[in-house]
Amino acid sequence: MKGITKAAFVGLCFAAWMTSCIKDEAANAEADIVACAVSGNLLIREPVITNTEVKFYVNGWEDLTNLAPTFTLTEGATIEPASGTKRDFTSPQTYTVTSQDGQWKKTYKVSFISGSPATEYHFENIKYYEYTDIWDPTAEPQKKFHIFYDRTIEGTDMEWSSGNAGFMITNSTAPATDYPTSQAENGYKGKCAKLVTRSTGSLGAMMKAPLAAGNLFIGEFKINIGNMAKSTRFGMPFRMTPLGLDGYFRYKAGEKYINKNSEEQTNKKDVFDIYAVMYEVTKDVPYLDGTNIKTHENVVMMAQVENRKEAGEWTRFSAEFKSVKGRTIDAKKLRNGGYNLAIVLSSSEGGADFNGAVGSTLYVDEINLYYK
Amino acid sequence: MALGMWSVVAVAQQDRNQSIRESEKKGWEYEVKAGVNIGGASPIPLPEEIRKVNSFSPKFNGVVEGTVTKWLGREKNWGVSTGLRIEEKGMKTDARVKNYSTEILNDGNKVAGRWTGRVETDYNSTFLTLPVMANYRFNGSWKVRAGMYVSYRMDGDFSGSVSDGYLREGTPTGEKVEFTDGKSSTYDFSSDLRRFQYGAQIGGTWQAFRHFSINADFTWAFSNVFKKDFQTVTFNMYPIYLNLGFGYKF
Repeated sequence: MKGITKAAFVGLCFAAWMTSCIKDEAANAEADIVACAVSGNLLIREPVITNTEVKFYVNGWEDLTNLAPTFTLTEGATIEPASGTKRDFTSPQTYTVTSQDGQWKKTYKVSFISGSPATEYHFENIKYYEYTDIWDPTAEPQKKFHIFYDRTIEGTDMEWSSGNAGFMITNSTAPATDYPTSQAENGYKGKCAKLVTRSTGSLGAMMKAPLAAGNLFIGEFKINIGNMAKSTRFGMPFRMTPLGLDGYFRYKAGEKYINKNSEEQTNKKDVFDIYAVMYEVTKDVPYLDGTNIKTHENVVMMAQVENRKEAGEWTRFSAEFKSVKGRTIDAKKLRNGGYNLAIVLSSSEGGADFNGAVGSTLYVDEINLYYK
Repeated sequence: MALGMWSVVAVAQQDRNQSIRESEKKGWEYEVKAGVNIGGASPIPLPEEIRKVNSFSPKFNGVVEGTVTKWLGREKNWGVSTGLRIEEKGMKTDARVKNYSTEILNDGNKVAGRWTGRVETDYNSTFLTLPVMANYRFNGSWKVRAGMYVSYRMDGDFSGSVSDGYLREGTPTGEKVEFTDGKSSTYDFSSDLRRFQYGAQIGGTWQAFRHFSINADFTWAFSNVFKKDFQTVTFNMYPIYLNLGFGYKF
């Protein structure tokens, strides 16, 4: 008994010693833009902040030559040029944020976006997501995965989003062509987009996320580990009324259809999904994601490609935008950019819930969006 | 016949006791000890990345040891001792950290970066230790000792999990990956633990009865638990333990 009380006493002393020896908190090392704002009534929706970019959405006729956005940073950090500096934003401007401890810097690209999504998509243009090795800044930045981009009606570039950034974290050494979304040769005309449902390996299976569907969509991809379906944020401002969607596809389903527990479902066969949604942006609902893009009450119109099946040759697909539950588009809200349009393509229709077959491959090319 | 056997055993027993008494006269002392190790592998001082220690459990770490001491000089007050000790060293901690450099397992791949949030650590190692000590005996009841030891790690584990926080990939300005709503990830640095350890030891014994003693030894390693080229955890962790137990002197 004596020994046990001795042990308890020593254990307590040790814990007390460790607790009392906590050093003063170090200065912050992070250099983030945490919030942003701009004066006047310019913004048509909430700005989007990613790790290296800030995007403000404004109407197409606004004068961008003399704007002074303000930024809220990680505590103690500084920004150069200073927050509130007047700059010409007809092209994106860069800002450098330095952390409170002075040891870390991050460069942000700040842009004012007033364009609409492009309406003819040929998938000829790609750029690479580049990763710079911070331990060897002189080395060539590594090219990781493909990013498709197209010209909008206004003549600016618009990038398609995909789940590639999530795949990159777990498969950082994979070549660009092993990612779920990449560019391929032998398109219907020129090059095309190739979407493949990939396996996430044994640990992905253990975490009940055994596959990553190849996807391509208009919107943002922001990783949400707690709920992967929320990582795909669909839609960008669109100021016309959409009428329909068509294009060309080729599809082959993977061999083994599995669910999120990696159990084979022998009676099910994987199928792709192509659809487009026009939804209203409100203060409470700045965007829709993988959990609610087809079901939310803010959805006004939807175009869903039906009769989806395998095809070895290039086959034409089309879908008409139909009103959902009799809702209509308000012309004034439309003109002010109060609606988002999302076009979504996926090699496994149940991919957001991890139902699908590894290896399912969807090729798409020459997509047209019709509007009035 | 049985009586004959009994008398042979009795004589043999007497012979053995005799040989122990004789070696005792020459200054040799033999002991076996059993006890527990209480302590932890700690950075010195606690680095600024550690903001709060939520809990600490020394765990039950068993120690068994055999010691031989040779008392020297006429007075036989000073001696040299050595022995062999099989011991476990372990600990379990739960701490809150900020900007802590680590490498986590996420979907089958290792991701290195800076973690801010909760870190749980489970450490244990089993060592074969050789202590070499100088001893001083005050009287028949008390003796103290001080010296060095070397340890060979037979097996060991250094792993745990991170939760309730976020990881900045690579550097503090890297992509932020949030871990909220109970989501967690694990790390395992077991294969980066050092094989050999060495350090200092001081201790004392109270001879409660003729054969029975109570021991306390404080050991403090000079070497990091991790190998030299392991850079993921940026600070060194030193095993510091108090060994409390009982002993039997022959």
